[in-house]
Amino acid sequence: MGNLVGAELRKTTTTGLWWGLLIPTAVLALGWGLATGMLGQFFVDFASSGDVDEVSDFLGVTPDQWKVSLFGMARAINVSTIFPMVFGAMAISSEISRRTITTTFLTAPSRMHALLAKMLVYVLWGAIYGLAIMLFLGVGVALTSSPGQLPDAGGWAMLTLVCVLSSILMTMFGVGVGALIPNVAGAVVLLLLYFLVIENVLHGVLAYLEVPAVIGFLPNGSINGLTGSVSVDLFLSAAGVVPPEIEDVLRAIAGASGAQDWWLSGIVFLLWSGVVFAGGWAVTQAKDIT
Amino acid sequence: MHDGSGLIAVQNLTKQFGPVTAVQNLSFTVSPGSVTGFLGPNGAGKTTTLRMLLGLVKPTSGTATINGRPFHQLGQPGRVVGAVLEAQGFHPARTARNHLRVYASAIGVPDAQADQVIGLVGLGSAADRKVGGFSLGMKQRLALATALLGDPQVLVLDEPANGLDPEGIAWLRTFLQSYARMGRTVLISSHLLAEVEQTVDQVVIISRGQTMFYGPLQQLRQSQQKRVLVQPSDLNALATALRAEGVQAIEQLPDGRLAVSGVESKQVADTALKAGVSIYGIQEEQVDLERLFFQLTSGQYAGYAPAPYQQQQQQGGWH
Repeated sequence: MGNLVGAELRKTTTTGLWWGLLIPTAVLALGWGLATGMLGQFFVDFASSGDVDEVSDFLGVTPDQWKVSLFGMARAINVSTIFPMVFGAMAISSEISRRTITTTFLTAPSRMHALLAKMLVYVLWGAIYGLAIMLFLGVGVALTSSPGQLPDAGGWAMLTLVCVLSSILMTMFGVGVGALIPNVAGAVVLLLLYFLVIENVLHGVLAYLEVPAVIGFLPNGSINGLTGSVSVDLFLSAAGVVPPEIEDVLRAIAGASGAQDWWLSGIVFLLWSGVVFAGGWAVTQAKDIT
Repeated sequence: MHDGSGLIAVQNLTKQFGPVTAVQNLSFTVSPGSVTGFLGPNGAGKTTTLRMLLGLVKPTSGTATINGRPFHQLGQPGRVVGAVLEAQGFHPARTARNHLRVYASAIGVPDAQADQVIGLVGLGSAADRKVGGFSLGMKQRLALATALLGDPQVLVLDEPANGLDPEGIAWLRTFLQSYARMGRTVLISSHLLAEVEQTVDQVVIISRGQTMFYGPLQQLRQSQQKRVLVQPSDLNALATALRAEGVQAIEQLPDGRLAVSGVESKQVADTALKAGVSIYGIQEEQVDLERLFFQLTSGQYAGYAPAPYQQQQQQGGWH
């Protein structure tokens, strides 16, 4: 198994895809970070202007102490992890398209071994992408935010944890979809459509039907919940007592409306990844490689 | 684990792709120490059979084993069997050396082995070039290098001569024969008997998914009737004289010679002497394996003969 993991790792490092996708990931994270800081600054200036004093009384702290950057960071992580997901989606689909899967299966004790080795390597890559996202995002936010809006050390650590987790889980989900749909363009387009369009429409419909709790159990809803819930929790812990209505609004701003607790959201998405990977596994196991 | 015998055994193998029967009740064995040719026209089921042997395609029924085991029970298959298959892909952006190192790691052999096999197939100078820029022949050499990485006991090659230049084919021939002489098993498929005739010792000929002949090439040669080609001064006189002696299989060839089957050249010469016919040339025809191969495998996807062009032109021409 160690041999196969080594082989899969070499496959990813001997072509340029990993940095070809890492560059836009980093640029996107940095851009979101910079924008988050600037928007937060603008919002705090507006909130401090006098007309909205009630809100600050409500939250028990003055606006310049609101950790508004947390919301932007949660959203930034959600968007940036699209790239590691695409990277994962190409793991198996590109091998089938390029027909390198033949040699891969000829040199592995079984197809199961080959797929598991691949999954392990992509978990590692998911973590690397997650760390890169956090690094560039953090730099962007720190450059444009005033210190009062930034999370404390514990907050940074928690955000880094969920960012890496989120990235790993998204990559695993991608690997599963890539196995299920053995066509690079098909797998990538479907993933992008689903995560950027289809599920957002679904969220709107579910919110309209007044069953927002369902959102937290959908793939995109649960992965957003992982980061969104953490950012809301961190914001609230620094903001004092907040009525439930305001909390719902804050969740929506963090992109985590209807979401469960962060750890439950993570488990829900892990289950989705598991289901997709099991499906991809079954398809690959039964497939005639011609 | 496997028994290390180097034996390939295909038994009652059948594969159905939907309504199409690609392989039907195929049986043969391949022994170590010789090169076995796996022959049949395109579409006869060769590739499907080899892929079933290598665990890439699931048989509908029957078994295919290497060293007494199906492929997925070999444990470390890369060290037991190496394969060069048609449509075996490479990542175009990966260099040849990196390609081999990936699979060296998968098989569990040191990287030095990758450098060794790349030299062995004559790609040493192109080792650090991206495979995307390789010619078909170079890719074929790289595929062979990949197959040799694990120093396998059994080598399976599907149409390996594709894309190779004559020099490459000659090299491959020598290589495979010496590989077999080391006591290993070599199975090589082709749709042209002539292409592998000088390489193989044993043949398995299939057509329409079924075994048509299976045994030593020598035996196939002997099963072919000999023909005597003779150029007499008088065709009719010699033909009449031969028929009088009970020889019926006489054919006139386009070049003006007679082809006489089922007799020795001595008998033809004696008959000619008795009939007072001079002989300008006589030879016993070498066994035409290609013709026999054609007879064994004809019928599948048979096209119509083209309309006689000459005749049409005459009809439509100036009179």
